[in-house]
Amino acid sequence: MIRIAVFLIAGAAGALLPNLFGSPLLLTLLTQAVISAILATGVGFLVRQNGLVSFGHAGFFGLGAYIVALSATNAWMPIGATLVVAILAPTVLALLLGAAMLRLGGVAFSMLTLAVAQAFYELALRWRSLANGDDGIAAQLPDRILGLDISVFQQAGSMFVVCWIVLVLVLFGLSVLIASPFGTLTLAIRENEERARFIGYGTIVPRAAIYALSAAIAALAGVLFALYNGFVTPNVLYWGLSGEALVMAVVGGTRAVWGPALGALLFFLLKNAAGDLTDHWPAIIGGTLIVVTVLLPRGASGTIAMLMQRMGVRTA
Amino acid sequence: MTYPALEGIGLTRRFGGFIALDSVSIALRPGEIRGLIGPNGAGKSTLMDVLSGRTGKSASGRVSLFGHDITELPARQRRRAGLARSFQKTNIFPDLTVAAQIGLASRAAETNNAAEVIDAMELSALAGQRAADISYGDQRRVDVALALVGRPRVLLLDEPAAGLSMAESLNLALLLRDLAARWQVTVLIVEHDMEVIFSICSHLTVLHLGRILASGPPEEVRAMPEVITAYLGSSAA
Repeated sequence: MIRIAVFLIAGAAGALLPNLFGSPLLLTLLTQAVISAILATGVGFLVRQNGLVSFGHAGFFGLGAYIVALSATNAWMPIGATLVVAILAPTVLALLLGAAMLRLGGVAFSMLTLAVAQAFYELALRWRSLANGDDGIAAQLPDRILGLDISVFQQAGSMFVVCWIVLVLVLFGLSVLIASPFGTLTLAIRENEERARFIGYGTIVPRAAIYALSAAIAALAGVLFALYNGFVTPNVLYWGLSGEALVMAVVGGTRAVWGPALGALLFFLLKNAAGDLTDHWPAIIGGTLIVVTVLLPRGASGTIAMLMQRMGVRTA
Repeated sequence: MTYPALEGIGLTRRFGGFIALDSVSIALRPGEIRGLIGPNGAGKSTLMDVLSGRTGKSASGRVSLFGHDITELPARQRRRAGLARSFQKTNIFPDLTVAAQIGLASRAAETNNAAEVIDAMELSALAGQRAADISYGDQRRVDVALALVGRPRVLLLDEPAAGLSMAESLNLALLLRDLAARWQVTVLIVEHDMEVIFSICSHLTVLHLGRILASGPPEEVRAMPEVITAYLGSSAA
């Protein structure tokens, strides 16, 4: 009950934010930050439950975005079905890839995620007849999506609320999953895969399921990105986006399910502030990452959770 | 016809040119507690690994459980068939509470005896604590508890008392003996502490250089000159 109340309050509080911020620029920034927060949540969840680092979640993000843009533009299927396929296709792909790649684990797994995502990037770049190469695709989205006017998805004020609600629902769902027997099993496998086998569990399927779920979250972020921007380029598949999501997850911390989302918010605020100071803002981001990794190895959320624990408050 | 609880026939395991286990055959009678002793490098843990499926397909020979051939089964399926094990190095889930990990094992075994095992292994007071936060001796008991969940038919214990004080070792040994008798579990135990071995085992098998050197009741085995020379030392006679 407490969990439901916390998430309801978080959802309502976020929905009120656009009324507080009049600046369209700030709302645009916050909407982008929340979409990135969803992507980072997927990346961080993989680290938390599987103990694995993905350098390729942009692949799933971009795949979701491209499926929306291509399907809407070429009228492959109704928009409702498009949205479902845009999330399901990367999920199924991740499940299949995971079943093969997770046997390797560690650095080999991370490199393979990078290779797969880069393969999709190259495909989008070079298959001009389908994806229009570097020029990208301006998605011909319908006037109404899921019963809502398209403007709801393309104006920062309303899209922020949509994305915020999606983020809160994702975090709620993950917190329920973490507290479930399946969450305990996947944590146990992360900690000691061999012992999990010796108490009677298969380990590949649960790990692949976590990988697929994290890919689904990334694809969901990609779908929101495509609806909001109405335009996709191969950059949404590029490894740089995967790297940014990973930085967000590290800065926010992955022990708490909400850590990567907090990291995304901090990342955007820092990027915005640093961008005002210098053109070399990535150096400031890099420096911050080093400082956080050394001084706050559990990230911002880990530090907050530790402080809350000392005060006797439990966190998800 | 009564089948052995656990039987290994012609078990061989090589590491490159080194033969760690050389065509070893062993059969455990249902309900017995068998001690497996031998000097370091004799092949005791390797034998446990081969019997439990830890070595995969890299070993040769046949393993059967109550007459059913389990040679081709991976470790998790052997566990589900009733063959459980603990490990020489504590092998638990440090970040999970004691209750959570024993509950997890209970779900895999499709039984509901987590509370019974926690109680039997005297872990009730620690149930809510993270395994990483409890003492080494308690971690060893958690390791054994994970193997005991679901009342396995055969239990392989690889140095369960390693690193424990003499009092803790004997306490654990007596606990295991009582549980094995109560739950009718067949046990194969590797242990260097001879006090533990002689206090609970009804039969001993001695491994030396990957082969069985001797096998029989403890009193007979400890008197065998070749066992004394290879392992026990003259003071044991």
